[in-house]
Amino acid sequence: MNASNLSRRRFLRNSGIVGGGLVIGLNLTGCSRAPLPVPPLADGLTPNAFLQITADNRFIFYCPRDEMGQGVTTGLATLIGEELDVHPADFEVRFGGVHPDYANPDFRMQMTGGSTSVKAHFLPLRQAGADTRALLLAAAAADLGVPVASLRTEAGHVLNGDDRHPYGRFVGTAASLDMPADTPLKSRDAFRYIGHNFPRVDGVLKATGTAQFGIDVDLPDMLHAVVRRSPVPGARLRSVDQAPALAMPGVTHVLAISTGVAVVAGSHWQAKQAAGKLAPVWEDVPLAGIDSATIQEDYARAMEGTDGVVALDEGDVELGFAAADKVVDARYWTPYLAHAPMEPMNAVIRIADGRAELWSGTQSVQAAQGLVARTADIDPALVTVHNTYLGGGFGRRGTLSHVTEVTEIALAVNKPVHLLWSREDDLRNGVYRPASLMHLRAGVDAGGNLVAWDAHRVGSNIGPDSLRAVAPGVLPGVGERFIHGMADLSDRITSDWFADPTSTEGLADDYDAAHRRVTQTTVNHGIPVTFWRSVGHSHTAFAKESMMDELALAAGQDPVAFRLKHTRTNKRLHNVIRIASEKLREMQPESGRFLGFAAHHAFDTDVAEIAEVSVTGNRIRVHKVTCVVDCGLAINPDVVRAQMEGGIVFGLTAALHGNLEIEGGAIRESNFHDYPLLRMDEAPDIEVIIVDSGEAPTGVGEPGVPPIAPAVANAVFRATGQRLRSLPLRLSA
Amino acid sequence: MIEFTLNGKTVSTNDSPDTPLLWVVRDTFKLKGSKFGCGAGLCGACTMHVDGAATKTCVLPVGAVAGKAVLTIEGLGTPDNLHPLQAAWHELSVPQCGYCQSGQIMAAAALLATNPHPDAQAVEAAMAGNICRCGCYTRIKRAILEVAGSNLAYDATRTQPATEASA
Ligand code: FES
Ligand code: FES
Repeated sequence: MNASNLSRRRFLRNSGIVGGGLVIGLNLTGCSRAPLPVPPLADGLTPNAFLQITADNRFIFYCPRDEMGQGVTTGLATLIGEELDVHPADFEVRFGGVHPDYANPDFRMQMTGGSTSVKAHFLPLRQAGADTRALLLAAAAADLGVPVASLRTEAGHVLNGDDRHPYGRFVGTAASLDMPADTPLKSRDAFRYIGHNFPRVDGVLKATGTAQFGIDVDLPDMLHAVVRRSPVPGARLRSVDQAPALAMPGVTHVLAISTGVAVVAGSHWQAKQAAGKLAPVWEDVPLAGIDSATIQEDYARAMEGTDGVVALDEGDVELGFAAADKVVDARYWTPYLAHAPMEPMNAVIRIADGRAELWSGTQSVQAAQGLVARTADIDPALVTVHNTYLGGGFGRRGTLSHVTEVTEIALAVNKPVHLLWSREDDLRNGVYRPASLMHLRAGVDAGGNLVAWDAHRVGSNIGPDSLRAVAPGVLPGVGERFIHGMADLSDRITSDWFADPTSTEGLADDYDAAHRRVTQTTVNHGIPVTFWRSVGHSHTAFAKESMMDELALAAGQDPVAFRLKHTRTNKRLHNVIRIASEKLREMQPESGRFLGFAAHHAFDTDVAEIAEVSVTGNRIRVHKVTCVVDCGLAINPDVVRAQMEGGIVFGLTAALHGNLEIEGGAIRESNFHDYPLLRMDEAPDIEVIIVDSGEAPTGVGEPGVPPIAPAVANAVFRATGQRLRSLPLRLSA
Repeated sequence: MIEFTLNGKTVSTNDSPDTPLLWVVRDTFKLKGSKFGCGAGLCGACTMHVDGAATKTCVLPVGAVAGKAVLTIEGLGTPDNLHPLQAAWHELSVPQCGYCQSGQIMAAAALLATNPHPDAQAVEAAMAGNICRCGCYTRIKRAILEVAGSNLAYDATRTQPATEASA
């Protein structure tokens, strides 16, 4: 690729057209002077969008990001609490509504994802805390008639000699003073909360069933809705005989909506029973002729027939292969997957007097607001969104068709509506991790050096689909046809011109090789796809890290030493691999157990994982996983550990079980009997080692996922001699 | 009309007897701590105690609990009066998204009430019906074993209601 191509690609990538983030470029951040969506505090201080301090010394933290289990309330309360000198556990945590001040600094809109939250808010939230503390100190100095320099702060109190005054005592004076800016932040050796372990701030709520999720919202006079949707994505309702549902107890309405047919009743159970009586007829769509086998055949044909669009081209791979002594050539397959968060999609809405109020746990309150506004045809400013705790997100709760559905239903029935999807709806009518066929070819020269790396991925792209899903919400003023035009354009661009970064990210980036090429061929059957915990890395790491083992073994080298040798220019990953290799050397697995290794860089974080595996018959059992992670400064090391544990279990579900089959264009799997998730009796012991780092924090929600599948596959090879190149891992007898 | 005790208090409902107990508790009696995850007895998010036994209530018709004692997470303990398992869940930061945790804790409480000192294998067997998509298993196991092994001595009587149902 020549330089002008490269810079054009960079331009497009930054403008977001390729990755679906076109949204971002166009999204006007709105007016920061719009009133804050927080209840006014008569007798207290609201210094900024994130904080309220009451006269009786209560501290309310409006968390700008969504809590889906990743510990963001704990992490962000720690950042602001550190500089404010309030223990993170002493905040009452609430979720900020829709306001530009709550934008994710990395995305310039309100969106939680991409393992960005702590990294993006690391400085802004600390600054908000530091400035507020400076304000309180100035107020205390004035009230007490002493110089600021004679005062200290500790745990929500101003200390004046031996006197301890609650911050709340000074909020009246503070409200009348100018807000300081650019207050110096603490140096790291002064941190009391950052870098320290303490329990999550939402632990008690979640251990007592008192954390409110979207499903728990219950309004007076509310009706309950269930929707029947086409099993084949995109097929519209042709006809339905409403009578059998209308005859059921409690049913108030049966109505056609954009995604299917809604049944509304006095209770969820009544709505569900009645919906089961319907036999909707759906229009025919081309996707109905597609099965998993068709998809795999089409991908294989595309792999043969095209070179694909270029995502990366460094050096000259063919030159590299010419110099190679050993070449390994292999194809890897990863299937469609569902997120299956434990809380199925749901939303509650009240529309009255030209205003709407929505309750739902989403990864973007801003998109939710826009979708309600668009559907109800009202100004977004008239839509209040209450975010709740999310019963799991993993990328699924960025796509909010349930918000559009509940709005359509409420407009028709003129009462508050609670819409709940079933688990079957979740698995069959969702948005998915795309399937991928990856062809890797790599060569090692006689000196054991990686000289050529050529990777080609076939599959569909997340960018255009996420544009379709997210743009209508975050661009409420832009016409639907224009948005579809943009998405179609994005389809064309990613298919014919520039690779969608989420399709091939991680396929070639980690290891030193003189000649590298990554290409992408788009085949899209129309199964809707989206971000799934660790996104492209969820499939690319499997191929890349399996190949590294295959290649090392073919070249007669130790796979871990081979990785160390080829990360000389990649210091952080090198260091993580080195620490893991030292652990590995000490390990003495009992007989019948085998170790497999993998490492990967994603979301600015480096992770290495060692899986200890046994095989009995065809059964793969993972006993223990050792994980080394460098995520920069760990804000709360125990939360980092928990995210690695969770990511490993999430990735193991994909490695051992995760598979969606397409039959006649529909998802075959329907519930946890045929889409099994890892259970406790299959879950390994997990040890997490966090690299001590003074660098700025990086992501932790997703990077634990990618290395586990290849680590297990590499261990299975040692145990059985079988090289498994498809997920989920299935041994042949 | 079906009568049963809910967290120690006698309640009655006119819901049709085939309505799953989960929906009666959530929507009629407004106790939202027990969750819906699958509706098919496969995930355990809806676990309550029926006469002391951990039971998946998304597939249990309310008619089947007539005259029986139902205990939910709200009856096990409250933020001001934590059950030892709830305290351990907090201290070890077991929950992530938290959605499965009511069911996990109810399953664990039923286990400890019958087997106060289970080993790891017994814990795994008793908890295999409860899915956690966030993958909190190592901590759930650790929390249960810690309570089981603590010299705080697990107090089985704590499976009695801590509060009255608000219904
Ligand atoms: S909701 Fe009852 S077992 Fe899943
Ligand atoms: S904590 Fe999220 S499902 Fe268990």
